[in-house]
Amino acid sequence: MWWKFLIYLVMTAVIVLAFITASPMNPVSSLGGPEVYRIFYFHVPQAWVATIAFLMAIFFSIRFLQTRRMDYDVKASTACRLGLLFSILATISGSIFARMTWGEFWNWSEIREVSIFVLLLIYGGYFAFRSAVSDEQTRAAFSAVLSILFGVSAVFLIFILPRIYPVFSLHPTDSIVNGRISITMSPMVAIIFGLSLVSFTALFLWIYKLSVEIFTLARYRAGER
Amino acid sequence: MPLPANSVNWAAKVLAVTGKDIISEFRTRFAVNAIVMFALVTLTVISFALGVLQPAAEIMAAMFWIILFFAAMSGLAQAFIKEEESGTALILKLSCDGIVIFFGKFLFNLLLLIVLAILIVPLFIVLLNTTAENWLLFIAGLVLGMIGLSGATTIIAAIVSKASIKGALFTVLSFPILMPLLAAVIEITKIAFIDGRFSDAAAPIQMLIAFDVVMITLSVMLFDFVWRH
Repeated sequence: MWWKFLIYLVMTAVIVLAFITASPMNPVSSLGGPEVYRIFYFHVPQAWVATIAFLMAIFFSIRFLQTRRMDYDVKASTACRLGLLFSILATISGSIFARMTWGEFWNWSEIREVSIFVLLLIYGGYFAFRSAVSDEQTRAAFSAVLSILFGVSAVFLIFILPRIYPVFSLHPTDSIVNGRISITMSPMVAIIFGLSLVSFTALFLWIYKLSVEIFTLARYRAGER
Repeated sequence: MPLPANSVNWAAKVLAVTGKDIISEFRTRFAVNAIVMFALVTLTVISFALGVLQPAAEIMAAMFWIILFFAAMSGLAQAFIKEEESGTALILKLSCDGIVIFFGKFLFNLLLLIVLAILIVPLFIVLLNTTAENWLLFIAGLVLGMIGLSGATTIIAAIVSKASIKGALFTVLSFPILMPLLAAVIEITKIAFIDGRFSDAAAPIQMLIAFDVVMITLSVMLFDFVWRH
């Protein structure tokens, strides 16, 4: 219980600090001035949480295929659901960010924008498939296979594709592609960013735990075992 | 994952599955017709719509793969749907290992795509007035792309054969998985059309090979769970 209050506090602190401290970057060009970059504190953790969610989905799908226990199916599909939610959030915040820094809401030549769009299609398709199969066991088994296939594709799209085509990337390449967290982040910025990352992850895990409980209870209610 | 007991027989079994599919395809010609007619129609529409316009070679490369991709989407799911509909799926499951079936169907789909390519490439060149400057690179990209197309979609076809809205679901599920493949293969074809050298296309070729290997390996590992359900 205490950790819920901790999440409340830390997240509130992050949101407040994100707006009252100095902006994270000195922009070369942006339509809104340096203030625009504050969205970085929220956009990156959302994308990060979506990636974690999809990786969790792969793990639980593998466990389901090994043990055939339905609770792993609930966990895998909930992870995919939340991954989709946070991908949508990352797309929206990214789109706003893009408009203010690069001038357009959407740009098909930006490889990461294309990747996130394909991720949305992937997990949208996952749920389309789930609703097209009525038998529970078949649905669970095939969804597990799909989420492993899709998860690996997601890894391809998020990590590999942008590194093969750095030319098509407006995203800052030296911190993302080469993995060096930009040393030009001042300590204050690094702290707030780190706290944001941690609190988003904690929030995601909390929502995840609640969702799994809800879906499990719904299944018991419906009489399935 | 069960390993085949006798590897010499394994290749023969795979070819037997492919052979059976080819023979049954000769009789009914569902999949071949679907794929070839779809590609022809798309090619005709594009040619007609362009009229006298002569877009750049890069655009033509993208068009080529649009035709191939949608033709594949219309026809490649047939391999498993035909099994479900004619009731032979159960007997097939009883007679062979999952891996044998996977490679048998994979080779059959690959053959369908090769037939398609043989028919479409000359027509594409004639109707749309494009030539590939670097033939070797074009063929290399084509072959690797077809291996990837067939490899990644075979397991999706097996999954979709048990669902309700098969055709639409097949396209919806396949496209995102194929996206890295399409990105790489269109890039290679563009370079081939404007007379690049192999070294220019090194990065997409590497990614294509990596994609093919990863997808086929994953599919082989996961196929049994779908097939033996």
